[in-house]
Amino acid sequence: MGGTTAIKADDVLLDLKDIHMYFGKVAALSGVSLQVRKGDIHSVIGPNGAGKTVMMNIINGLYRPQKGEIRFKGQLINNIRPYQRASLGMARTFQKVEVFGGMTVLDNIRLGRHIHFKSGILSGAIYAGRVAREEIEHRRFIEEEIIDLLEIEHIRHKPVGMLPYGLQKRVELGRALALEPELLILDEPLAGLNLEETEDMARFVIDVNEDKRWKVTCLLVEHDMGVVMDLSHQVFVLNFGNMIMNGTPQEVQNNPQVIKAYLGEEDMYATRR
Amino acid sequence: MSTTFLPCGEYHQSYHEDHAWWQTKFIKGKMILLMLVLFGGIPYMADSYWISVCNQVGYTVLGALGVQLLIGFCGQVTLGHAAFLAVGAYTSTLLILEFPWPKFFLDLGLAYPISILAAAVVAGVWSVLFGLPSAKVKGFYLILTTMAAQFVTVDFVITQYISQIGGRGQAFSLPPGTIKIGPWVIDSDLKIYYMMLVLVILLVAAVVNLLRSRVGRAWVAIRDNDISAEVMGINVVQYKLFAFFVAGFIGGVAGAFWISNLAAISPEHFPWFWSLWLVGVILIGGVGSIHGTIFGSIFMVVVMELLQMAVIPLASSYPKLLMDFLFIKEAAFGLAICAFMVFEPNGLAYRWWQAKNYFNLWPFSY
Repeated sequence: MGGTTAIKADDVLLDLKDIHMYFGKVAALSGVSLQVRKGDIHSVIGPNGAGKTVMMNIINGLYRPQKGEIRFKGQLINNIRPYQRASLGMARTFQKVEVFGGMTVLDNIRLGRHIHFKSGILSGAIYAGRVAREEIEHRRFIEEEIIDLLEIEHIRHKPVGMLPYGLQKRVELGRALALEPELLILDEPLAGLNLEETEDMARFVIDVNEDKRWKVTCLLVEHDMGVVMDLSHQVFVLNFGNMIMNGTPQEVQNNPQVIKAYLGEEDMYATRR
Repeated sequence: MSTTFLPCGEYHQSYHEDHAWWQTKFIKGKMILLMLVLFGGIPYMADSYWISVCNQVGYTVLGALGVQLLIGFCGQVTLGHAAFLAVGAYTSTLLILEFPWPKFFLDLGLAYPISILAAAVVAGVWSVLFGLPSAKVKGFYLILTTMAAQFVTVDFVITQYISQIGGRGQAFSLPPGTIKIGPWVIDSDLKIYYMMLVLVILLVAAVVNLLRSRVGRAWVAIRDNDISAEVMGINVVQYKLFAFFVAGFIGGVAGAFWISNLAAISPEHFPWFWSLWLVGVILIGGVGSIHGTIFGSIFMVVVMELLQMAVIPLASSYPKLLMDFLFIKEAAFGLAICAFMVFEPNGLAYRWWQAKNYFNLWPFSY
């Protein structure tokens, strides 16, 4: 159980093999391998500077590793641009919210559906028939599936830049969901949220992962150990570019190496609850 | 600045209503009134001088619309837009003067409309060419590459080569009667005015429609955050080039339109200052707002006209004022931009929105 090789090949959604990433002489990742199983919530934890965000950036194509293979749904995607990875079914949220501040909440989420829209310059400029119908169809999806799920009805026409941080995070999640991804990369979705917002966000992640409608595989980077241990099916521990272990939350919590490198004293994460 | 205020008791019951352009009866009425004023009121009331001022406003709107699209909606700062107006104007002129039109086309007055379309496409493609650096550079650096568009196009290609075609020397003169749309020969300010109105309305509508569909949203996303735009599935380079194409296209239409107002065109009609002026228009009107483009154009043109009217009576005692009017105009332009940047960085469009809100919310202040 829990080892990196135990997953059946058909079930693997994302497969990183021996990834090396250097910035100049600095090794951000040295020989990291990770397999994410379909339907799991797979967490990546590790101290600050461990290379978690670098890993996420590699997965969705913002960085290209010098060595190693990235496979998504069995397809080698090393040389595929980020926007093409989006149409393969990969969406992400960012550690520092990267919403489109000048657009309304609705437009942000509509933009998340960019790959599902069909209109071009000419048809968009005329905005008749098919284009208008398409806009309404997608609007219905957005309202019924996303805005309703994330409980952001009251702010749908507000510019996102004017919203508080917690709501911006929620809009960012909504935007990623609008893409209807198979793999959702959540880079610290709980950072900077208060207790209530944390609970909401954790609930949304579970909803998205377990609800028959969504069934999205999540790759979660998070520092809140309480949430990580409760939510995850698998936990991957990274320390300064090296993988320490991959296993169930139970195994990770009991691993002396992990405790030494990251978790620290027993009561550290108990106080976070 | 997003949604329409609905009066008490009025609700949308379908997404269709919420997506509509004019969402309430009151707004529809207002817009019909505006159309009546534009098509009937102004031509009836104004004399030929003020009509020509309106044409100037329209030309500025058409020019600034492309700049607004690039700077205000796609975040690609451009300082060479006059080049694309020039490309449009020259393409259209050359097509009219040099192209061997079949008699049939000339009789039906199709030459000019076709040349406008061709000018728009050529200017669009030309603009894409100078938009290519935007794949790599942003902000200040992009300003320089777009300025290159101005100098390469107007000062080099057009002055040195295009102007020599046909051996006319510097200026291309357009004989009366060559500018003809269908049965109408465009020979008076009033006819130019109507043509200007149609073009402005069509292009503004097209841009507004684009902005509420897929392409326009992608542009705004690139403006706000290009990295997350790419992660959300937008081919950033492609959409930037789309923006350059559409901006150039509109610029081409503007240039091709403006030849109807000129007896002869020469490179001096498209100086670098005009590029700067168009950026000034959107700064004063409001960056990232279609209203802003229009208000800015009206403001700039009308203020300059008023300035001129103020100078003329003073000229008898201070003749230098009239002689140096060009410099006064430029000084006023600079002053207006400074004042707007300091006191109303969001531009006239924001003031308009505030005023509208005041009346929408009246008698409450919140």
